[in-house]
Amino acid sequence: MTVLETRSLTKKYRRITALHELDLSIESGMVFGLLGPNGSGKTTTLGLLLGVLQATSGDFSWFDEAPSADSRKRIGAILETPCFYPYLSAEENLRVACRIKECHESNIDRVLEIVGLLDRKKDPFKTYSLGMKQRLAIGSALLSDPEVLILDEPTNGLDPEGIVEIRDLIRYIAKSGKTIILASHLLDEVQKVCTHFAVLRRGEKLYQGGVIDTLIDQSTIDIAAAEMEELRSVVQQLDEITSWSDQGEFLKLTVKPGTRTEDINRKLIESGVILSLLAEKPGSLESQFLKILNES
Amino acid sequence: MKRLLEIEWLKLRHYRPFWVLTGMYCLCVVLICSSGMLFLRFLKNKGADFDGIDPTIIPIYDYPDIWQNMTWVASIFKVILGFIVVISVANEASYRTLRQNVIDGLSKSEFLKSKLIFITALSVLSTLLLLVIGLIMGSLYSHVQGVEYMFRGTAFLPAYCLGVITYLTFAMLITLLIPRAGVVIVALFMYTVMFEPLLSVFLLHHPDVADWLRSLVPFLPVRSIYDLVPFPFPRYFLMEIQDYISFRQVAIVVGWLIFNIGISSLILQKKDW
Repeated sequence: MTVLETRSLTKKYRRITALHELDLSIESGMVFGLLGPNGSGKTTTLGLLLGVLQATSGDFSWFDEAPSADSRKRIGAILETPCFYPYLSAEENLRVACRIKECHESNIDRVLEIVGLLDRKKDPFKTYSLGMKQRLAIGSALLSDPEVLILDEPTNGLDPEGIVEIRDLIRYIAKSGKTIILASHLLDEVQKVCTHFAVLRRGEKLYQGGVIDTLIDQSTIDIAAAEMEELRSVVQQLDEITSWSDQGEFLKLTVKPGTRTEDINRKLIESGVILSLLAEKPGSLESQFLKILNES
Repeated sequence: MKRLLEIEWLKLRHYRPFWVLTGMYCLCVVLICSSGMLFLRFLKNKGADFDGIDPTIIPIYDYPDIWQNMTWVASIFKVILGFIVVISVANEASYRTLRQNVIDGLSKSEFLKSKLIFITALSVLSTLLLLVIGLIMGSLYSHVQGVEYMFRGTAFLPAYCLGVITYLTFAMLITLLIPRAGVVIVALFMYTVMFEPLLSVFLLHHPDVADWLRSLVPFLPVRSIYDLVPFPFPRYFLMEIQDYISFRQVAIVVGWLIFNIGISSLILQKKDW
């Protein structure tokens, strides 16, 4: 099922085009990363999709329907900083959200338990640390057991421990089959939790694809042997290897798509070379990302 | 409707400034509306003399005049209710909870409705407060008693209520234009008690003002509400006053009410929050 589809979505602020003709399609069950440097249009995109910004042109649909307040009730979202009534407790804040989403109040304790704030639920929001505020925001997004979860820079401003907590939480939620849209400028974050991603720069979509596919395309194999001279000469003759570089201690191979590491090993043994190192290295999204940004 | 009222109630019930202002408002209205007799006694003790008449026999609490007298006096304090509305709307912008409400699944028209329900509730409660004070003071001091007299002239109560609702939508509109509580509270207060009254006095009494400009005075946003319940007290000095609600004035106020809500709705829809 298509959860979200945007068609030529555009947002202009006077002279600046914050988002230019974005076409995006997100299927049910994806953990979709919206990646891009600061100011690339990620938050603008989410603001449009959540009805707080007005599109200059183009349109979008949630669940194959025209967007409405009712479709937003099926979405849990946090946008930028957590926004709550500072003088109300966590429980009272969620009570307001519950009435808006028209869900049962028994959900309040359930989500507070998930985000670990149950014992602080009576304290005013303004007494919370940044990490707790962020967790409450995620809790609030989970309140109506939504089909789609939208998270905008969920680990922004958190300490390392908080970042790990939030990531674990996202993975935990993803396992339950929910569709997650995650905006981030942290590549590493998208790589760790997302199945698909798109790259934005200055309001333009540069790339869209699956994280695993993109990474497999770029995986490399490191090899070394006692006789490095012999290894080099054998490697040059293998058809499966598209390119290689000498790293001194070892050789870094890029192989043809479909070639497995054991194929390389077998070929080398047949040629009489015994390896002292054989390691498959998955490509990192970081190098891919920089490549995408540089290519365009 | 019930849901929207509940949402407003949940937002405000633990908000101290809301209760402080509400308390202040009730205190002002109760004290001023019920101390008319004390005031007249005070005048008497000071030796005030109205052509040989004892001030304490001036029948300010007599049915049916009591309703016009009280709604006129209470109308002065609607500016405090205005502050409550300003804070309630400005907070939604500054805490960015309006944005969060929309994200959570409240449409902007529902948001507007929830604020309008809140405004109406405040106005109706304020009117009920006046009804209660009126019945108590009337039963204590009115020279005419009896159910058949008590409710005569109570048409001023719904008129007063309409005036307060319209004034509060005006406060909401200004806050949506400039979502800064402090700035709007000062501006609203200055405009209501100084700027517009001075302007209308100037327009009405300065000899060089053109007639067409003068004729605009009853259409000013605060003045039109002020004229809904005409100033009653000159009647005790044997001057003629308007002791009824004019249809024309109601029409002007309803016009403002529609304008305030319409423009508020437009701002909510068009602005990026």
